Amino acid sequence: MRPEEVLCLFPEGVRDRWREVAKHAERLQEIRLRAGMPLAVWMENREHFVDAQGRIVDRPEKAARVTPEELEELLKYLCRYSVYAFADEIRQGFLTLQGGHRVGLAGQVILDGDGRIKNMKYIRYLNIRIAHQVRGAADPVIPYIFEKGHVLNTLLISPPGGGKTTMLRDIIRQVSEGTVYGGGVNVSVVDERSEIAGSYLGVSQNDLGIRTDVLDGCPKVEGMMLLIRSMAPQVLAVDELGSIGDVQALQLASGCGCRLLATVHGCSLEEIRHKNYMRYVIEEELFERYVTIDRKTGTCRVTGVYDREGKPCIS
Amino acid sequence: MYKLIGILCILAGCVGWGSARVGQEKDRVRNLRALFHILGQMRSEISYGKHTLPEICLLLAELNDKCYKACFVRVYERTREENGGDFPEVWEEEMRACLAGLPLREDERETVAGLPKTLSFQEEGGQSGRIGQAEEFLEGRYRQAEETYENRAKMIRSISILTGLLLAILLL
Repeated sequence: MRPEEVLCLFPEGVRDRWREVAKHAERLQEIRLRAGMPLAVWMENREHFVDAQGRIVDRPEKAARVTPEELEELLKYLCRYSVYAFADEIRQGFLTLQGGHRVGLAGQVILDGDGRIKNMKYIRYLNIRIAHQVRGAADPVIPYIFEKGHVLNTLLISPPGGGKTTMLRDIIRQVSEGTVYGGGVNVSVVDERSEIAGSYLGVSQNDLGIRTDVLDGCPKVEGMMLLIRSMAPQVLAVDELGSIGDVQALQLASGCGCRLLATVHGCSLEEIRHKNYMRYVIEEELFERYVTIDRKTGTCRVTGVYDREGKPCIS
Repeated sequence: MYKLIGILCILAGCVGWGSARVGQEKDRVRNLRALFHILGQMRSEISYGKHTLPEICLLLAELNDKCYKACFVRVYERTREENGGDFPEVWEEEMRACLAGLPLREDERETVAGLPKTLSFQEEGGQSGRIGQAEEFLEGRYRQAEETYENRAKMIRSISILTGLLLAILLL
């Protein structure tokens, strides 16, 4: 990531303050802005603060405080002065920016008559997560997810922030482009929260390979069926299975002849077996490979690859 | 002979002045119509297209001609992520420059140039509603200007000819 890309996240009037931070663009992970609180940045899994002159400091007392007005201005800028155009994303608590960066939002939620989130106001907490595509992240697992040139139904398991989306993104890219284990195939991605492709104005900001189609912002259940009907994918990829509906849609997709790539929150295969909505598909052996990942040492690490019966392929 | 040439010159000058004034009136009607159409396009892009305001400027540049096209392209360019311009400020600056030479009244210029400052950036209905109000104002002005245009044009032409004749008689 280039320093200019960091500067593009902020309006012209405050860019000078961010020049120092932008110099560390490659290491930058998050920029956290909380109303009335010190301005914090995360680099290489360590928290730092930014003072009023834009210098990086280690103590929160020396940091500049973020005002609600600054947050409002920044939000207007990030939404291109058109918050209405991002209403659906704001409802889900995030915005996707050019470059695939994501902004997490928190504030006061407005509910509709059915108790569902209608909108958000007084947004006072922003978390700008800088996207870093890690090419080659999937190299250790690629040999295990192909069999006789075909992709195996694979489920990636990791705790939140463990790197499963990074891994899935690279698997999609390699499956789409083709590897020594199998030729490139058509991959369709249902990117419900714009995390895989990081689409901006409909264009994927991450490299997902030359044979990949992305359905952005669509719920997984509807998205999977739509893609099967319209794009005839050989491989279908989705992130974060979280309900029985998602799993049933995957079964349907599998019945249509699609190979599956999916992720789920969890620390181990054993833990996944105890999730109500996952138990059935594991017993039915829908997935042929399970990959467990963690980020304990700061980098994404494969901790295990298991076959359809849960027997380790590597340890 | 010289007197006749002089009379004809005076008459021609006055008629020319009258035609220029009529042309200005016509230009005003045309610009008012263009502006209220532009606001209508903006409103529908917000309501139905869900495009952001800078993107709408790019669309408006494609849909409109003359000075408006260049103005909208500049607004879009200056408010792109690379340049990071503040949309209300950039819009106002570019619109004022664009409308400065046009035969419009100050309140009509202000309605268009100051529009983004009055927009609520929080909600679609608020934004399109506010643009709708400005559109109605300009449409009212346009209808009024169009209705009075024929009569005013006749009046200006008559006055210019009569002025020419009067000047000619006085100078004879």
